Amino acid sequence: MKKRAVITSKYIVLAIIAAIFLLPILYMVMNSFMPTKEITEAYTSSADHYASFHLIPDQFSLEQYYQAFLRRPQFLKLFWNSVLITVPIVLIQCLISIFAAFAFTKFEFPLRDVLFFIFIILLILPSWVTMVPNYMMIQKMGLLDTIWSLILPSAFTAFGVCLLRQSMRYVPDETIEAARMEGCGVFRILFQIVLPQVKGGVASLMILTFIDSWNMVEQVIIYITDKDKYPLSVALSEYAGTDTGIIFACGVIFMIPALLIFLYHSKEFKNARV
Amino acid sequence: MKLKTKQAWTGIMFALPALIGIFVFYLIPYCISLYYAFTLQNRFVGFSNFVTLMKSETFWLSMKNTTIFALTAIPLAMIIPFLIALFLSTFDKHTGFFRSLFLSPLIIPIASVIYVWQIFFTDYGVVNNLLQKLGLEPVSFFKGPWSMVLVVIIFVWKNCAYNIILFSAGLRKIPKDVREYARLEGASDFTVITRIVIPILRPTTFFVFLLTVISSFKIFREVYLLYGMYPDENIYMIQHYMNNNFNNLNYPRLSAASVILSVFIIIIMLVFFLIERRNDQ
Repeated sequence: MKKRAVITSKYIVLAIIAAIFLLPILYMVMNSFMPTKEITEAYTSSADHYASFHLIPDQFSLEQYYQAFLRRPQFLKLFWNSVLITVPIVLIQCLISIFAAFAFTKFEFPLRDVLFFIFIILLILPSWVTMVPNYMMIQKMGLLDTIWSLILPSAFTAFGVCLLRQSMRYVPDETIEAARMEGCGVFRILFQIVLPQVKGGVASLMILTFIDSWNMVEQVIIYITDKDKYPLSVALSEYAGTDTGIIFACGVIFMIPALLIFLYHSKEFKNARV
Repeated sequence: MKLKTKQAWTGIMFALPALIGIFVFYLIPYCISLYYAFTLQNRFVGFSNFVTLMKSETFWLSMKNTTIFALTAIPLAMIIPFLIALFLSTFDKHTGFFRSLFLSPLIIPIASVIYVWQIFFTDYGVVNNLLQKLGLEPVSFFKGPWSMVLVVIIFVWKNCAYNIILFSAGLRKIPKDVREYARLEGASDFTVITRIVIPILRPTTFFVFLLTVISSFKIFREVYLLYGMYPDENIYMIQHYMNNNFNNLNYPRLSAASVILSVFIIIIMLVFFLIERRNDQ
């Protein structure tokens, strides 16, 4: 009997922890189904009127989504900007990192370890250090204020190479050697023998790179001056000031791609070897 | 021998795209900024750019705030997930579902939830409403020292998830009987954790530490979306300092800051790597 009480109380604690993690997100989703009027009424606050906790809509409505999708062409355009930046980054980053990690784990060439050491240092350096060199190069190439200024530096980061090198180390050299003896080409070895064994690593890389670029802020406000080219990660905060009534639906729409890519890969992600 | 050189060339070809990118966007421009750091209007000026930087009060303010943030947020974002992972490991049944739930702050874009934080924490917001009902003084999270508290809360909330996953994976590697045997021998829970669990988890902890440090460098995103380009002086971070110097394109000063900060970070990380290496032996 006592044991059962312990188990129940443990589950209650677990539920409370989960609630803390989920609350802001749940709040956003629930609030996205409130009509605009309800939102502005609930959150217009002043010294004698505090905003109150308002989770459950008084009246269920899709007005915010209708407004965001059909009445604000600008919103969809900004959303599309985010896609245009994120998809190339993820694809280039994955392909290049797979190649480089393969080279760094399964081949020997001069200066290999020195070069990899440079990757590790770059992995750690924050954007406030690397952005100055980045900016100078982008300016010299004449790419400022184009989406390429956001895509190129983020596509070539050390992160993917380091992550995939970690998973590729577990691929036994013997299988590769055997395939080579059989006369298998390097590309076939990479794509048919190595890649299936590091699926978890690639999935993690895709998710983390996607999330990171979907959330891009610091590069955008430095490299891009034309606000029409802003991705939603930055532009959304400007909606908060001007278009309060639909902000929750915009947030939910913006969240969906990240959520989908996570759910698609979640099993590999959680079991990835690190 | 011939085979070996052929192998080496294949390796180089595979590494080449990544190497070109890293050289073009990071290494070569970094060398250029090293040059800028020691010149002013194309004249070699020695360390004078660094001296000007050291005299700048805003630079030190941003250094101070970034350090305060790192020293509070990083330990919290490691200890709390460790405790949660320990708690999860006491369950007999699967807790995979809960662990996925915990991941959601990481998955959800910052910009999406930022408005919820605003409603909760503005001067007349939900949290202050609650504080008032409890008879406590309302707190200003957007001005004054409490703004740093809010930034730390958001960071911990967001970064706990992945660390829980990593710690849980590490804990699963410890055989259950080891812990049970120690307990049968009369060791208390506390001793089991400090003497058995923590030493075994050291490599995991180091990895978690590294990832948390890297994410702590990205806190600017939240700070920018919440407070804009010119925040309260309590959360004026290095990234703000750099951005404000970008606005007037002060290359000598930016380069000097970039060089000195990277040297600083590399030294700190090397120290940690060496400690970790020595413990390994």
